[in-house]
Amino acid sequence: MPEEVYLDYQSAKPVDPRVVEAMLPYFTESFGNAASLHSVGDRATEALEASRARVAAFIGAEPDEVIFTSGATESNNLALIGYANRNKRAGDHIIISEVDHISMLNIGKYLEKAGFRVSKVPPDQFGRINPAKLRARITDDTILVSVGWASNEIGTVQPIAEIAEMLKGTGVALHVDAVAAEGLLPIDMRAVPVDLLSLSSNDIYGPPGLGALYIRKGVKLGPIMMGGGQERGLRSGTEPLALIVGMAEAADIAAAEMATEVPRIAAMRDRLVSAVLSTIPDSHLNGHPTGRLPNNAHFRFEGIEGESLLLSMRDEGIAVSTGSACSSKTLEPSHTLISCGLLHEEAHGSLEFTFGRFSQDSEIDRVMEVLPGIVLRLRRMSPLYKTD
Amino acid sequence: MKSTQYSEKTLDHFRNPRNVGTLEGDDVAIGRVGNPVCGDLMEMYIQVVDDRIADIRFQTFGCGSAVATSSMTTELVKGMTLDEALGVTRGNVADALDGLPPVKMHCSNLAADALHDAIKNWRSGKKLNPLTAEEVAGVGSGCAVPAVTVIANADDYLGKGLFRQVDDINDLSEKRTLVLDRGPASAKLALELTKVTPRVVFLTELDTLGLPEDLSGEIKRSDVKVLYQARLLSVLGEGEVEKVRIHDLDEDNDYELFVDAVVLLEA
Repeated sequence: MPEEVYLDYQSAKPVDPRVVEAMLPYFTESFGNAASLHSVGDRATEALEASRARVAAFIGAEPDEVIFTSGATESNNLALIGYANRNKRAGDHIIISEVDHISMLNIGKYLEKAGFRVSKVPPDQFGRINPAKLRARITDDTILVSVGWASNEIGTVQPIAEIAEMLKGTGVALHVDAVAAEGLLPIDMRAVPVDLLSLSSNDIYGPPGLGALYIRKGVKLGPIMMGGGQERGLRSGTEPLALIVGMAEAADIAAAEMATEVPRIAAMRDRLVSAVLSTIPDSHLNGHPTGRLPNNAHFRFEGIEGESLLLSMRDEGIAVSTGSACSSKTLEPSHTLISCGLLHEEAHGSLEFTFGRFSQDSEIDRVMEVLPGIVLRLRRMSPLYKTD
Repeated sequence: MKSTQYSEKTLDHFRNPRNVGTLEGDDVAIGRVGNPVCGDLMEMYIQVVDDRIADIRFQTFGCGSAVATSSMTTELVKGMTLDEALGVTRGNVADALDGLPPVKMHCSNLAADALHDAIKNWRSGKKLNPLTAEEVAGVGSGCAVPAVTVIANADDYLGKGLFRQVDDINDLSEKRTLVLDRGPASAKLALELTKVTPRVVFLTELDTLGLPEDLSGEIKRSDVKVLYQARLLSVLGEGEVEKVRIHDLDEDNDYELFVDAVVLLEA
């Protein structure tokens, strides 16, 4: 078996060894609880606040605009449910995007059960939200709009600056799940008037199990978890200091290296896209042809099914993702692909490659050595693909 | 479902499927089950000699377990009498593979059903032809005139993505467009539209294209995506066309398709 090829960075990223190094002392020597009044606790407080400032700087925010959570899912829950509950006197209507991560759609369902009205904006064929369509859904009762910065699945980048501009002065708050975009696109809260922004630590090669929520000064939230009142009362629970120091280190590295890392990743991705589209007949690129994350290539192959592709790639030591229903718990195909206008049988044949910090050009060679043959083999077996 | 939950035997049949292919001849019958919408479509080809399955081949579009169950079924029943083969169940196939993940038991374990269908077709003398690429969503020989269904709320969207006539195809430039089958004029329009937009879906209630041969040939060779046995139920959207609700006449279920425009030519 040749060395494993990992092109599924959107699912999970390895923690950068420099981050691990920075975290280690906080497990053993500097283990304090920031709430304690003794000197061990004081040192923990210092490390916690210094880390908060570094994460805030990563997105152009003030330190007191950032709180730590257990990850992006919690940040999204706190942003939507916390904002809706705290501001329901102003209205009961929330707008989310149809193309967003399943965790957002399920928060929407929860809010509906809790008595809020939730509208969903459909994307265009490339997975992009048209700000005008969003605006058409705003009513006097609308309090919050939530749109992901980019799709973790098909890579399409949303016109966040335009949406933020459109909402300015309307009194409607904007939440953005920035997890797929962080470290790959510039995110600056001084430049773009977003009110709430979700971040994940692992998505910038920090430790999993930690996230952050940016809350613009003046934006009012209620907690969704009750406890000791940490993180300004918004997120109770003793702060996991080692993880937080890790995220801060990861943010510093991402900020320093983005300018060189992103073009390198984009070049690899471009090479894969042109190799696949030119070598494999009846293959298509899903998502936006240009307005997409630099690390994302999402293909659709006619006549074959994604889980079979995935298993065959796995046998060759290549780790990738698919939007096929058959690889999901619910047996439903990816709602993201469906919302772009694909039919179920088209969504079944998708394969997603995501590149990252440790990807190598040789991995593309390996993919192109085996992928055309796998597609051919599965098509020969398929009653849906006839070459006549 | 995690692929790691497949047994070694299932993975072996997925990696090295037995008896892939098709068979031809007077002593061959074909069985077919599944629907590509659900991600599974299987065909079983049996050659029957003296009431026994002398040879067997399969074609499968589907996930790992769909391929493995097809392969295992062919191994199990080769050489059996037809009655014996009719006694082979989905459960037997799953057992022979050392089990399947629970979530896969129903959706991707259709191979025994395809085999039974082939035997039934052999006994009744019904001849299925292998599918052509364009017929994948429909089976049989429809030749009726497309029925004109009234879409209840269509006129609410007139001028907002719903077209009763198209004067300038550029009005549909870059739009995901659904064209309802209203005969040759609608099919010609669908072909025209592929010049201005990459996504044209032609929706017909028939199980085959009920069009003049040259025109249906042209449709099949084009980028028009044909949805067979599909009935438009309603148009959905906030202020403009955003999606449609479609009834799948074959599977008897409803689903939504995201589109920007719907063309309903006057009948």
